[in-house]
Amino acid sequence: MTVARLIDVHKTYMVGRVRVPAVRGVTLDIEHGAFMSIAGPSGSGKTTILNLLGALDTPTSGTVQIGDGTTDGLSLKTLADFRNTHLGFVFQTFNLIPVLTVRENVDFPLQLQGIGNKRERNERVMKILQEVGLGDLVDRRPTELSGGQQQRVAVARALVKGPRLVLADEPTANLDSETAGEIMALMQMMNEKHGTTFIFSTHDPLVMERASRLVRLHDGRVASDEGGNGGRHAS
Amino acid sequence: MLAESIPGRLRPLTILQLGWRNLRRNRRRTWITATTVALAVLLVQVAVSLLIGIEQQSFDNLINYQTAHAKLYAEGYFANRDELPLDYTLTGLDELQATIRGVRGVAATTPRLSFSAQVSNGVDLYACIGVGIQVTGSDHDVFRIPQAVVDGEYLKSGEDGLLMGTGLAELFGVDTGDWVTVLTKTQAGAYEALDLPIVGLVGTGNPLIDRNSFLVPLEIAQYMLGLEGAATELAIRFSPTARDDETIAEITRAVQDLRQLDVKGWREMEEDFMALVRVKRTGQGVFLLIFIVLAVVGITNTILMASFERTREIGMMMAMGLRGSGIRELFLTEGALTGLLGGALGSLVAVAITAYFATVGLDLTAMYGDMDIGYPVKDTIYPAVNIAVLVASWLLTGVLAALASFYPAARASRHIPVEALRHV
Ligand SMILES: Nc1ncnc2c1ncn2[C@@H]1O[C@H](COP(=O)(O)OP(=O)(O)O)[C@@H](O)[C@H]1O
Ligand SMILES: [Mg+2]
Repeated sequence: MTVARLIDVHKTYMVGRVRVPAVRGVTLDIEHGAFMSIAGPSGSGKTTILNLLGALDTPTSGTVQIGDGTTDGLSLKTLADFRNTHLGFVFQTFNLIPVLTVRENVDFPLQLQGIGNKRERNERVMKILQEVGLGDLVDRRPTELSGGQQQRVAVARALVKGPRLVLADEPTANLDSETAGEIMALMQMMNEKHGTTFIFSTHDPLVMERASRLVRLHDGRVASDEGGNGGRHAS
Repeated sequence: MLAESIPGRLRPLTILQLGWRNLRRNRRRTWITATTVALAVLLVQVAVSLLIGIEQQSFDNLINYQTAHAKLYAEGYFANRDELPLDYTLTGLDELQATIRGVRGVAATTPRLSFSAQVSNGVDLYACIGVGIQVTGSDHDVFRIPQAVVDGEYLKSGEDGLLMGTGLAELFGVDTGDWVTVLTKTQAGAYEALDLPIVGLVGTGNPLIDRNSFLVPLEIAQYMLGLEGAATELAIRFSPTARDDETIAEITRAVQDLRQLDVKGWREMEEDFMALVRVKRTGQGVFLLIFIVLAVVGITNTILMASFERTREIGMMMAMGLRGSGIRELFLTEGALTGLLGGALGSLVAVAITAYFATVGLDLTAMYGDMDIGYPVKDTIYPAVNIAVLVASWLLTGVLAALASFYPAARASRHIPVEALRHV
């Protein structure tokens, strides 16, 4: 089963009057349950592809399919609703809301989904925080946490609403290698336990190793696409 | 998929919570902005309550010492009243008074005879306004002259004597007990001079009376002017519950068959002063508006800066599915809360100040000295704390602050998530 699909996707940015081609004809099928890494040097188009798959951006040409729909011609508001219902994000710089506690940060996407029952939300928040190993730190503010702990909160926040697809743009780039390994192990565990599809970009070989599928980009094109060692086997 | 879902929105309580906590992110900036708002609110509340106090006081002063609520004139007098003519007098006063007393809303009425006179202390000679008042029976039912006697005593019926304005007495260098000569011209054109003792001084705070006028018993005025049984006006006081317009209309109806008469309300008599009041209000309004604008600009600027600093956070919230309208709500709330915080602060200080002066009173002479502030007031003002006005203006501050945040909030809501996320 396919969760998302790129069909001959191009994305060209205009910088002044100069055309900057960031993605040049990429076709990719992402199977349900994949733990997929997009690798490549800086500027190769990783972020652009994740943004397209994350309905944060639309292609210059080609088609982006997520679930049953395409992002073609959708308004900003519809795209926002679409992300709200189907997608989770993990960012390189954690991007937690500093004035909210760990619990409130993870509650945020549930509120956006309009789940009115506070008990229900709280149960889900506490459950996922236990899973990522932060059950004891729920009332801390992000600034009172280490980088690794913050990224765990971000993973919990992405997963709490049970999305089809979690997109993580260089999730370990701001972490030391040991913590990076722990975060990768956590995401892998979630992938195996819940079957959530993960796509993450990286240029760290240690991180790539864990992927069930490794797509290498070069100059906005797919340079190679191979099964990796880790991850849940795609169905 | 999601029953009764409101996708893309935060719960109102969360919006409030976020707004409140975000205020503390840059405490210094929040305090500076809130203080600006507080100052504007404080200034507006104190200035407005002071202005209302002074206006009320000066209206009371005019009514109590000069205009009464209304006056009845012979036709032709009103248009020429500045010259104090003796050609348009009222006679048959008892009958007229009886008619007017019968009108609903009228509490009391008294005849007065105003005339131009020259007064001399033997050295200097000044032109003044003389007013003949009915000492027994009625003048003090309409006017409050007895309360304004600051030295000596009120006039006694049948006794010669005059009450002199404090300013006029100072000008002459005379005091209670001294004698002055009053020079008048009768309606027929003959000069008449009379020596009268000063029985007392009146200080009303109304410059027209204090600096230009003296009061004598009506009979003396009539005698000096050769106008036995006549008056230039019939002054009327309304009962406290009477509506001014209605009562004036009733009086007009009651007298219309009698003679050619004019009924004038105090506002109409004091048109120039009312115009001055409006000018002063406008002036104050403009002055206060400057502070309000400063506060508004402060809030706009603060929210703009906050939204710049949080560009990436905005992008992240949008990536999670918060709609632009949700971002707008967050910043509008933050602006409104800043306004409410400053408004509360300013109102508290304003209440403290008002409450203080409500008990000790605000002595205007201490504030302005003997300077003519353009309002006929002298008494101490007791401003009142009005909770309803206070709460209303506090809420209004919140609304105004939200409006001030509208532009930066709308700007923040139009961010494109990818670009906002790229922001460093
Ligand atoms: N908003 C943008 N405007 C102009 N050029 C952009 C923009 N975003 C990305 N690019 C360019 O597109 C190319 C791919 O960028 P990106 O997808 O961020 O690569 P990566 O994430 O692999 O470093 C780069 O050359 C980058 O400079
Ligand atoms: Mg990148």
